[in-house]
Amino acid sequence: MPLVHETAFAIQLDHENLRRARGPETAEMNAPSNGAGTDAGATSAATAATADRLLADRRRRRVGRLVIATVLVAAVVWSVDVTIVQDTDWKRMGSLANVLEAAGEFVGVDWGLFPDLAKPALETFMIACLGTLLGVLVCIPVAWFGALNITPFKPVTYPLARLMMTLSRSIHEIVWALFFVAVVGLGAMAGIFALAMRSIGFIAKMSAEAIEDIDPGPVEAIRAVGGNGFQVLIYAILPQVLPQILGVVVFEWEINIRRSAVLGLVGAGGLGLVFFRQMNTFNFPGVTTVLLAILGIILIGEVVSHFARKAAI
Amino acid sequence: MPILEVRELRARYTSAGPEILKGISFDVEADDFFAIIGPSGAGKSTLIRCINKLVEPSGGNVRFRGEEVTRLRGRELRGLRRNIGMIFQEFNLIDRLSVMDNVLSGRLGYTGNLRSLFRAFPRVDIERALQLLHRVGLEDHVDKRADALSGGQRQRVGIARALMQDPKMLLLDEPTSSLDPKISREIMGLIKSMAQEYGVPCLCNIHDVALAMEFCNRIIGLQDGVKMFDGPAELMDRTKLGEIYAMEVL
Repeated sequence: MPLVHETAFAIQLDHENLRRARGPETAEMNAPSNGAGTDAGATSAATAATADRLLADRRRRRVGRLVIATVLVAAVVWSVDVTIVQDTDWKRMGSLANVLEAAGEFVGVDWGLFPDLAKPALETFMIACLGTLLGVLVCIPVAWFGALNITPFKPVTYPLARLMMTLSRSIHEIVWALFFVAVVGLGAMAGIFALAMRSIGFIAKMSAEAIEDIDPGPVEAIRAVGGNGFQVLIYAILPQVLPQILGVVVFEWEINIRRSAVLGLVGAGGLGLVFFRQMNTFNFPGVTTVLLAILGIILIGEVVSHFARKAAI
Repeated sequence: MPILEVRELRARYTSAGPEILKGISFDVEADDFFAIIGPSGAGKSTLIRCINKLVEPSGGNVRFRGEEVTRLRGRELRGLRRNIGMIFQEFNLIDRLSVMDNVLSGRLGYTGNLRSLFRAFPRVDIERALQLLHRVGLEDHVDKRADALSGGQRQRVGIARALMQDPKMLLLDEPTSSLDPKISREIMGLIKSMAQEYGVPCLCNIHDVALAMEFCNRIIGLQDGVKMFDGPAELMDRTKLGEIYAMEVL
């Protein structure tokens, strides 16, 4: 019996909540049907109390929002003052006309530069290809160590691979390039190493995740026929992850074309170096020409990438 | 002499976890089609995986053709496994490889790493694979990708792959549970007739009691890791089934 009583009580409570949720109109509409005037009075008193609580709640929230908005606006104003108002050489900038004039110098193309761009453009392209290829080679052990289900010695190899992935991605390609220029000297090789290092993180991470998501059934089957670890890798794991990994590699290659175009800024070969030279000799139409060339090879990369990734799947 | 002797076999997945097998003993003879029946979670899959050490037993002995297998590791263990073919509930084919490559993968235990890498299987293997594919009725699907086949056809590839190993015994882990009743009967019939042709005894997990009684000559019943019945299929009756399945089925 007590159980039944409790249930009835719970249902009653539920009705009360429902009435509150519906708001005053519903409560008033329900009241006459109950046929008792006193009940209607009690309901409206309850409604008034709820309304008071809601109003107070909303007032509090409004104040809170105002405080947050004020802090955000103050932060923006302070940032603008420090980084733009105080930090800009307003005298050098001059009037709006001067600004437009300076920007206008970039309009136009230095056609004479084109013959000199072929070799650096090809170099940029090759840096991207070789950098990606080298990155993929380094990725093989990193992805192997970094996939929880196949890592050879979890307490050591797994953290090692994860560290490698994070290190690769958290350092910008320009910084990698500066490092390798210091190590192996100016030229394309520094760029290739920089792109390889920068590519490891993404490719290895995606590959490791693909390996972790495989269907374990084929692995079991190859182990059951007496296959060794290498055969399990080649037959049971690789066929399952290869399309995904190829897609990731092509995507990274496309990004690497973009990256290799600017690596020359720090002396790591390619179009970036020409860009830098045009800028330093104030040949602004030449800068535009180099930008067009970069745009061109990036477009080529995107088209190839689009079809290659379709084919991979 | 039995081809497989299992004594007091015990298994648990973690040292603190529940015991899945609580001391199972039985013998499989060279001409047996041996069924293990029981409800889900009784330990059938664990038991069958202890035979080829896909699961490490925690106690007891398994002797295959007189050789103690529970202590085998590395190369010796792979040598054991290539002598024991296995057929799976979910087929466990490699979807993106061709039917031919899937069947050839049954030879990996006999194939070196370099040949495996380039899928350079010798001519005898290819011929054997073609014969087996013909025997299971897939001669027209040799070059198709495994994921292009229907369920029944996929299990036929699984059968061909297992026999490709030239096995001395077959382990069947619920070979028909992913198939409809008609195809299930066909597949069981095919496995049984091929096992007889090649002279290979079978140890088969199966929860469909009717199929077990139709195709198998010996049955053991498992319930909660304990053997509840052991005897020829004819002695299986409703009372004993009721015990094994604890009123679950009948």
